[in-house]
Amino acid sequence: MKRILIIEDDEILRGELARLLQNAGYDAVQMKDFQDAAAQMTAARADLILLDITLPGLNGETLLQEFRRSSDTPVIMLTSRTGELDEMLSMSYGADDYITKPYHPTILLLRISAVLKRAAKAVSAVQMYHDAEVSTVRGSVTRGQQEQILTKNEMIIFQQLLERRGEIVTRDDLMTALWDNEEYVNDNALSVNISRLRSKLAELGLPDAIETRKKQGYVLK
Amino acid sequence: MKLSAYLKDRLAAFLIAAGTWVLVLIFLFAFRLPGQAAVIVSTAALCGGICTVCWDFLRKKGFYDSLMSCAEQLDQKYLLAEMTEEPDFYEGRLLCEVLKDAGKSMCEQIAVHRRENEAFREYIEMWVHEVKLPVSGLELMCHNDGLTGYEEQIKRVDAEIETVLYYVRSGTAEKDYIIRPVSLKRIFSETALKHRAALQARNIALRTEGLDCEVMTDGKWLGFILGQLTDNSMKYGAAEITVSAEQLPEKTVLHFRDNGIGIPADDLPKVFQKSFTGQNGHRHAKSTGMGLYIVKKLCEKLGHGISVRSAEGAYTEFCISFGRDELHSVRPGAV
Repeated sequence: MKRILIIEDDEILRGELARLLQNAGYDAVQMKDFQDAAAQMTAARADLILLDITLPGLNGETLLQEFRRSSDTPVIMLTSRTGELDEMLSMSYGADDYITKPYHPTILLLRISAVLKRAAKAVSAVQMYHDAEVSTVRGSVTRGQQEQILTKNEMIIFQQLLERRGEIVTRDDLMTALWDNEEYVNDNALSVNISRLRSKLAELGLPDAIETRKKQGYVLK
Repeated sequence: MKLSAYLKDRLAAFLIAAGTWVLVLIFLFAFRLPGQAAVIVSTAALCGGICTVCWDFLRKKGFYDSLMSCAEQLDQKYLLAEMTEEPDFYEGRLLCEVLKDAGKSMCEQIAVHRRENEAFREYIEMWVHEVKLPVSGLELMCHNDGLTGYEEQIKRVDAEIETVLYYVRSGTAEKDYIIRPVSLKRIFSETALKHRAALQARNIALRTEGLDCEVMTDGKWLGFILGQLTDNSMKYGAAEITVSAEQLPEKTVLHFRDNGIGIPADDLPKVFQKSFTGQNGHRHAKSTGMGLYIVKKLCEKLGHGISVRSAEGAYTEFCISFGRDELHSVRPGAV
């Protein structure tokens, strides 16, 4: 389980962020006292840090600079400052992403998983699903001698499901991932893409791989 | 300064002089002095009088003419006192002194208002940052508790807050933006993602063409501008929005087109005016007339051109042009 440290001084926001992350299957750790924040950041041994820019008595950017001297743990800045300059500064101090409040929860989760993947260099071209190889480079799923080519949309959907295998992935999550990749599909197109993906998997001898949970979403078994 | 007007202004003085002269003549005759004496005295007085008037007229004309032409040429007329040379006659010096005082007090007044305006702007910026915390909290709570119905309302609140922020930013002289190469594709995708739920609820299709390019702009500001245009398309019955970029030799033009109800031809030239709501605004009663006004002001500040075309019942198309001259040259590889 990936551990995420939340550094945010607004108590309610911090609590809700922790709930969001826990629901999404992360281990959320909260920093409540900002004394010696840099040392706490290192001590937390987190896989990723969510850092607010404005903290009581200190500046998130300075904190980030200090932290960066000793660690390259990915950091996502969370901020209500909506200036291009703030973003440029944060990125130049070594932030991995910069998200402005109010963030849409599914977009935030998407960014978190993208940054974690980048950090783990897990963007390895090949992932396994049962005994099938999923290749993002070739855009295909191969099982034995058989290869099925997936369209870009199908691949995005399959990757989302695969990443959270066994969990419910909502249509909203899938839509967010598609739109984030400049694929502005509508509700119908999503259904069509999922049924195509299903039949392609079935042709590889993996029928019923994607289960529909009524009014909730999909689960990849 | 006109001689005739000047003489007319001195009419009373001339009448007094003439009266005095008549009195002098009466005295001269009363003392039985010869007629020649009267002629000599009269000539001397007349010459003296004419010389005095000419001298006075010329030196005043010099001063007032330069004052008038200066006032005409000046952009900011309140700087007049600073630009005027002090004359060598008393009234002129008085006038200059008063002008300087007035100018100084004017500058002080402006400075007070500028400071107040600046403080107000800072307060609004701070307030916007503060109010985003509870809005974020609400959004997370709704998501965590599975309250799906509230999200759109929260987004509306957020959109209104953004409008305030950019209204303040568009109005101040301060340069709080950064021009750098920005990917049109990225900015539009962020805007689309932000509006996804609302767009899908209205079943609006998005099409993009040729956005794989960079333009020189402030990404955040452009994101707000595209968000405003998207909001408008949603308000006014679009079923499809097409966003495309066109490369011209000296500029890149972004076309933002929808197939909504369009804008009546009479209203078209006025859509960027402050508080203009037009027939569409009245019919739909959702318009404040601020959105496009702010958009226009932001474009002006960033140095982008913006124009609109429309046919009622058919389409509305906004074109934003981004310069590509030496100063705006796009560096490869930068985002």
